[in-house]
Amino acid sequence: MLAEPGQRVKIKVKVNGVEYEEEVEPRKLLVDFLRENLNLTGTKIGCDTTTCGACTVLVNGKSVKSCTMLAVQANNKEVVTIEGLSTDSRLSVVQQAFKDNFALQCGFCTAGMIVQAHYILKEKKPLSEEEVRDLIHGNICRCTGYQNIVNAIMDASRRMGA
Amino acid sequence: MYPAQVGYYKPESLGEALDFLEKHESKIIAGGQSLIPMLKLRILNPKYLVDIGDLKELSFIREGDVISIGATTRHSELVSKRLPGAEIIQETASKVGDVQVRNMGTVGGSVSNADPSADYPAMFSALEATMVIRSKAGTREVNALDFFKGPFNTALGQSDILEQVKVKPLRGYKQVYRKIVRRAGDFALVGLALVLKANAGVVEDVRIAFTGVSDKPYRAIKAEEALRGSKLDSSSISKASEIAVEGVNPPSDSRGSSMYRKEVMKRLLRNTLEEMKDAS
Repeated sequence: MLAEPGQRVKIKVKVNGVEYEEEVEPRKLLVDFLRENLNLTGTKIGCDTTTCGACTVLVNGKSVKSCTMLAVQANNKEVVTIEGLSTDSRLSVVQQAFKDNFALQCGFCTAGMIVQAHYILKEKKPLSEEEVRDLIHGNICRCTGYQNIVNAIMDASRRMGA
Repeated sequence: MYPAQVGYYKPESLGEALDFLEKHESKIIAGGQSLIPMLKLRILNPKYLVDIGDLKELSFIREGDVISIGATTRHSELVSKRLPGAEIIQETASKVGDVQVRNMGTVGGSVSNADPSADYPAMFSALEATMVIRSKAGTREVNALDFFKGPFNTALGQSDILEQVKVKPLRGYKQVYRKIVRRAGDFALVGLALVLKANAGVVEDVRIAFTGVSDKPYRAIKAEEALRGSKLDSSSISKASEIAVEGVNPPSDSRGSSMYRKEVMKRLLRNTLEEMKDAS
């Protein structure tokens, strides 16, 4: 695949189970692609410097920061955003646990937090509080002080039978 | 901010990538965790990006008499792999950035980028790893000590690609990577890679490499010499820690002043050696 500077490239990306074919400039960031081209605005742009994790999505099942990935890098891959985590208008276990544990205040970091929580819980093995804190240190929350977020993730882990 | 306009080439093989690199002014992108932030700040404006991120032939971890790690191996793959005789690699990988960055970022990217505060350069300097560089002209091998030349500057030429990093296992060595950060996931204020082999309390071999204290990884050669052959006790440890900061002038920046960094170097080395002494 070759695109000259200024040229667009055709990419095929599966997002939340739906196949999309779009033409994008190589410089287009994945987060902008999701928000602007696909109108999936659940994924947030926070710091824009790979620090805060508000833009976290899953690419081929692994959590990444979509502000530090190009849309072309997601070509032929599967992306899951916060919009793709609940089914039939029912919250996922993690989302429900966040709600039950008051794990958010302003909500801006929540989408990224929940996507990251899904990723770290997918192996269904028990995690200590210390491990949870370490695994979410790429996600910053400026409201809660993290305690309820950690509680919610531990709670979700128990509900998932870890 | 989004990057400036850029062309994009996705080769199907390493050969194709090398062909393109020779003919066009381009930058290699693998995971992009070092490169994309620089593109966004517009510090770098290459004409083309050559995307080797999905090249399977460069993604491997091979064990044996020599451990080789392919350039596009993700940090997360090293986090989940204990390499006997090179346990420090797993420990260092687990301290790079955060989970999301480790899922995307690559060994080759971090090493080729050569940030003076990055974790791998110090670790590979302590292991005296060999960097295998490919170009159209062929393959050449450069020792880690000669590979890192300065800030964001390595032995890599414009049309070279780092293919893999080779490490000789150091069996029977205690291996530790420690980093002091101002906030979780940050670059190191000071990082220390230390490998040490002791026999009946006497230091047989030791290698000490710091990151974040110079324009490239800093090997505290004189401190190593002072320790080799001596008994690992509080007096030799304290002497080595003093010697380690001689001959280096750390930078002052938003993370800390030069003087503070020197103090951190001393403490970090002393505490790590003390722990090794107590454990043996």
